Amino acid sequence: MQFKSQAVAKPYFIAAIGLFVGQILFGLILGLQYVLGDFLFPAIPFNVARMVHTNLLIVWLLFGFMGGAYYMIPEESETELFSPKLALILFWTFLIAGALTIVGYLAVPYATLAELTGNNILETMGREFLEQPLPTKLGIVVVALGFLFNITMTVLKGKKTSISIVLLLGLWGLAVFFLFSFYNPVNVVLDKFFWWWTVHLWVEGVWELILGSFLAFVLIKTTGVDREVIEKWLYVIVTLTLITGIIGTGHHYFWIGTPEYWQWWGSIFSALEPIPFFAMTVFAFNMVNRRRREHPNKAAVLWALGTGVMAFLGAGVWGFLHTLAPVNYYTHGTQITAAHGHMAFYGAYAMVNLMMISYAMPILRGRAANSNKSQVLEMWSFWLMTVAIVFITLFLTAAGILQVWLQRVSDAPLPFMVAQDKIALFYWMREWAGAAFLIGLIIYIASFFVGGDEKEAA
Amino acid sequence: MELLKNPAHRAWIVLMIATVITWYLGEVGAAGTTSIVAMLVIAFVKGRLVILDFMELREAPRMWRILLEGWLILVSSLILLAYWISLK
Amino acid sequence: MPEPILIPSAEAPPARRLPGDLAIWFFILAEMLAFAVFFSAYAFARASHVEEFNLYQQTLDRNLGALNTFLLITGSWFVVLAVQAAHQDKGPAIARNILLGWLCGGGFLVVKVIEYSAKFGAGISMSTNTFYMFYISLTFFHFMHVILGMVILTVLWVQARKGVYGSHDAHGLESGAAYWHMVDLLWIVLFPLVYVMR
Repeated sequence: MQFKSQAVAKPYFIAAIGLFVGQILFGLILGLQYVLGDFLFPAIPFNVARMVHTNLLIVWLLFGFMGGAYYMIPEESETELFSPKLALILFWTFLIAGALTIVGYLAVPYATLAELTGNNILETMGREFLEQPLPTKLGIVVVALGFLFNITMTVLKGKKTSISIVLLLGLWGLAVFFLFSFYNPVNVVLDKFFWWWTVHLWVEGVWELILGSFLAFVLIKTTGVDREVIEKWLYVIVTLTLITGIIGTGHHYFWIGTPEYWQWWGSIFSALEPIPFFAMTVFAFNMVNRRRREHPNKAAVLWALGTGVMAFLGAGVWGFLHTLAPVNYYTHGTQITAAHGHMAFYGAYAMVNLMMISYAMPILRGRAANSNKSQVLEMWSFWLMTVAIVFITLFLTAAGILQVWLQRVSDAPLPFMVAQDKIALFYWMREWAGAAFLIGLIIYIASFFVGGDEKEAA
Repeated sequence: MELLKNPAHRAWIVLMIATVITWYLGEVGAAGTTSIVAMLVIAFVKGRLVILDFMELREAPRMWRILLEGWLILVSSLILLAYWISLK
Repeated sequence: MPEPILIPSAEAPPARRLPGDLAIWFFILAEMLAFAVFFSAYAFARASHVEEFNLYQQTLDRNLGALNTFLLITGSWFVVLAVQAAHQDKGPAIARNILLGWLCGGGFLVVKVIEYSAKFGAGISMSTNTFYMFYISLTFFHFMHVILGMVILTVLWVQARKGVYGSHDAHGLESGAAYWHMVDLLWIVLFPLVYVMR
């Protein structure tokens, strides 16, 4: 560890992994409720489980991003963090607020939660992914601003590299676009229109910048390739991401009451969204092939390559599958979307966080890399989780294709619930793949506690 | 003609003349298969000159020449195909 | 005026070299792919609305379109001269030619704004019909690329004034020039496709 203050990243990483476990557990509950509708009812109804599953995902990724930024920025700026104390205060604020929110979701009915938390003052609740009560949303803003202040001040007093500038751009974008979660017009078209400014411009815009800069940072560290070369790639990826991602928002405007030209704009630009992801894949492999040193942390390199490939498959290929308006006319809101969502989130954002954790954690624990034994275990967990997500995606895709066929394309379309019954087999298989994913995650956590004594030579 | 030794000057002159031809075809209201093909050929020649003499890919690694010229061929063929469908 | 020899001489066959930076070429390819999709979308959408496209195409101003082709080609040509000047270490000619190229781009924007104001003034919008949707989308998307190209030229001009470019290093200049030529190349396809072909 080059700078003492990088240590604040550690609690963020631990919290991220903890919440990740929670997300997967609720995912399994949710998966089971697809086939056993009254499982855990009325304690945890489907809608609550789903909300917890998706909210935990967002929160743990945010923890990962913050931890990664706290780790990366001092090293990039070649200076101590502006205020490690502020980082720790914000950590506890965010963790407690997040935990209280989840408890709120589980303990009281959603409507009661809305009443208790002053939703009548400013109505922001009840919208997918942005279900958080008003105090939580405000808390997120406060934490994000404090975090950005801390990070920005660090960059300002230290060295400014392209990688840290791209990261700042991504993180500021993240905060700015979250503000649209407070805008909830009565007009449903307008509501949806701006809702996507948070949801889409996060995952297909500014988050990709965070992904790109994390990937670039770890590749510089592990491959020893010239910074100039890596930065050049980063610029190309960032520009392509912004061009395709921003106008690509149009693929959400097909059927919500917006003008027809969105069908063209949305189709054309989102058809190009795989390009930056493909560039990232090529980038990762190219840099690793041109490596000038053998970094002892092989697991981190594996995650870096993995995120390159899986982000392209999940976000790029599976996104493209249903992004053209004529296709989306049939697939909109089916299990095809779920298939894409699972692989894209895992491939892009879960994996890039795991990559950062994999690279940084050993150093934070005082070694260049984990022991061989520990790394072997971590690589097993990599493969188990990755293969599991591939199967989840394939089963959901199969379920989605069948659903589209039975419910929308066929001459005698079946009602929604009848179609759901007919594809139950795929939901069962998805659940088993989900169980395999959980085992992978447990092995991943175990790898932190194995063979830590035999220190590798740095 | 000393001036014509510079490929950029030659390209510029050809590009200007070609533009006038396309514009003229528009003015006389040319339509149908022959004029479509003619305009695509003109666009192809113009594009190729830009690629080879402006972008200076004539002496570049073959892959890049092929990629850019291939783009021209691809785009012209797709347009031609679409127009051919529309004429049927 | 004595013209320096630019055509490679027979006795020293130069190694095949890509002018400019590899990254800019990837970027150019991606941009061109975007336009290829847009052009094909236009052509195939036209195939199912032939009458509509032929009718409304007549309302476009071909003279302004052709004028803009002249401006972009000439602008591109000036930038080629700037690159050539750099290879021959003719300092002042580099910045001067970049500036002339930039002015051509500026002229393009002025002409385009005149054209747009006539169309928008007549109440035409992206929702008027499919043809106008494509006309506005394609030309506006290209318009934004002209602006980006001019931003790049501005940077090149500032650098050239500082004397950064010469036979020792024309890397940045060549990269920016390649992008500017792409803007030209795209218009060379766009103009006949949208304004003339029927």
